[in-house]
Amino acid sequence: MAARRALKAVLVDLSGTLHIEDSAVPGAQEALKRLRSAPVAIRFVTNTTKECKKDLLERLKKLEFDIAEDEIFTSLTAARNLLEQKQVRPLLLVEDNALHDFKGVDTNDPNAVVIGLAPDHFNYPMLNKAFRLILDGAPLIAIHKARYYKRKDGLALGPGPFVTGLEYATDAKATVVGKPERTFFLEALRGTGCVPEEAVMIGDDCRDDVGGAQSAGMLGILVKTGKYRAADEGKISPAPYLTCESFPHAVDHILQHLL
Amino acid sequence: TADRGQQLAGIQGLVLDISGVLYDSGGEAGGLPIPGSIDAVKKIKASGLRLRFCTNETQATRDKFVEKLQRLGFDIAVNEVTAPATAACRILKERNLRPHLLVHDDLVPEFDQIDKANPNCVVIGDAADNFSYQNLNEAFRVLIGLEKPILISLGSGRYYKETDGLKLDVGAYMKTLEYACDIQAEVVGKPAKTFFQSALAEMGVEPQQAIMIGDDIVNDVGGAQQCGMKALLVRTGKYRPCDEQHPQVKADGYVDNLAEAVDVILKQLHK
Repeated sequence: MAARRALKAVLVDLSGTLHIEDSAVPGAQEALKRLRSAPVAIRFVTNTTKECKKDLLERLKKLEFDIAEDEIFTSLTAARNLLEQKQVRPLLLVEDNALHDFKGVDTNDPNAVVIGLAPDHFNYPMLNKAFRLILDGAPLIAIHKARYYKRKDGLALGPGPFVTGLEYATDAKATVVGKPERTFFLEALRGTGCVPEEAVMIGDDCRDDVGGAQSAGMLGILVKTGKYRAADEGKISPAPYLTCESFPHAVDHILQHLL
Repeated sequence: TADRGQQLAGIQGLVLDISGVLYDSGGEAGGLPIPGSIDAVKKIKASGLRLRFCTNETQATRDKFVEKLQRLGFDIAVNEVTAPATAACRILKERNLRPHLLVHDDLVPEFDQIDKANPNCVVIGDAADNFSYQNLNEAFRVLIGLEKPILISLGSGRYYKETDGLKLDVGAYMKTLEYACDIQAEVVGKPAKTFFQSALAEMGVEPQQAIMIGDDIVNDVGGAQQCGMKALLVRTGKYRPCDEQHPQVKADGYVDNLAEAVDVILKQLHK
C-alpha cells in the first residue's frame, strides 16, 4: 500500500450505511454533522441503481440528512458517461425511476445492453432479448455486480447474478461501471482534489465498498448494518482497515484517529 | 477417408442429442423435425447399432417429451431416453435431500415421490417462463439460508434454439444462483461424466465403442470426449460457424445434419 497521507476525503455509501430503505441508521444524521465539522471533503457514492439522483436526494432529505446533489456520485452517472463515450444505443434494463438519469440517450434499435437493478425486467423474455443482442456483439455494461441487497422482507438478488448468467451464456465479459471498480472510486474523488491515499470509504458491503476502495488505494471501513452478515470481514484480503458497529462509530474513529 | 474408417472401427452404439439434432423445439406443434432426422433414426435402428437418446431436456416429463417426439414422427420410446430428472431423483433419495424446485411446471410430476417439505437444497432445471425474478429470488433465499447450500442443476447448457430463435438455457440461471450465493452447483446431465456413463451402461456399450452426435460443442461434444467417446457436431440447432473454431473443444467430425452423420457412419461400417 502506498504511504498514507493526512485524511482529506471521506466516501460514504448510502443504502445499508446511512439508511435501510426508509429508516435512517440510528444516530447517522448527527454523525454526519460531526463529520462535516472536520476539514474533509465528503462524497456519497452508491450502487443504488433503482433510483435517480433526484430520488436519492429526496429520500435523504426526508430522513433529515444534510446532503447536496453534487456530493452524490452514482453508478448510473458512470454508466451514462460510458455510453456517451462509446456512442451506442442501449437496451436499458433499469427501473423506470432510474431512466431519468438517461434522459436524451437514444435507445432505438439497441446495440448495447445496460443492466442495473431491475427486478421488473429480470425475467425470461427480457433476458432472452438481452442475450441475443449480446450474442450479436452488443457490449454488456453492468452498473454494478452486487450479489444481493437487503429489502425489508429479506435479502434479494442484485444485478450481479444476472450479469454473470449472461456472461456465461454468451462468453462475453461485462464492463462494470459501479463499485467495486477502481475507476468508479477515482471518478468519485474527482473534484475533491484528493488522491486515494488521502481518502477513506465507509460501507456495508465488504467486497464492493471496502475491498473496492482498498484496491483503489483508500482505507476501507466496514459497518455491521444493512446487508452485513457475520464474518463478512473475512471475505477480502487484505482485511478491512476497520470493522465497526455502524456509521456513527466509523465517524468517531475517523475524528479520533485519522485526522 | 481412411482416417474416418479407422475412427469408426469397433463402433457399436450411437448416442443422440435430441433438441437441435432430431428437431427444433417451439411453436404451436411443440417443434419441427429437422429434415432427414426421422429417417436417420429409422436407419440406425435397422442397422443393428445400439441407440440411446441423451438429452438435457427438462421442460417436460420424459413421458410427455417422448409422446411429443412420437407425434412428430420419430421412432422413439421412453426407455431409450436418458434425461436428468431421473438421475437427480436418485441423488436426492441417496443423500436424503429435500428439494426446493425451480423447474418447468411440466417437469414437477417427475418429483412426485420426493419429500419436498422444509427444503435443504435447490434443484434447478430449464424453467423457461418460470424464470421470473420472484422465483429466482425464492430459490436464492432457500440457498442463502442453508448452512451449506446445495444447488443441483439439471444441465449446464448456455442456450438452445427454438423455432423463434435462441433461448437462454438452465446454465445461465445456474450461474446466476452460483454467483449470488458464492457456491458451485452440482450438475446432473450433460456434460457430467456420470450422465454419459449411465447412458452407455443403459445400452451396454463401452465409451470407445460409442459416438455422440450433438449440436452443442461444449456439452455434447466436449462432455462425450471427456468420457472417452467420439463425438460429431451437427450444423443444425444451436450450431454457429464459430463452434468449429472453439478454443477448447474439437469434434471428431463436423456434419451438416443427423442424416449426413448416419450416412457416413453406416457407409464406413458396411465397408
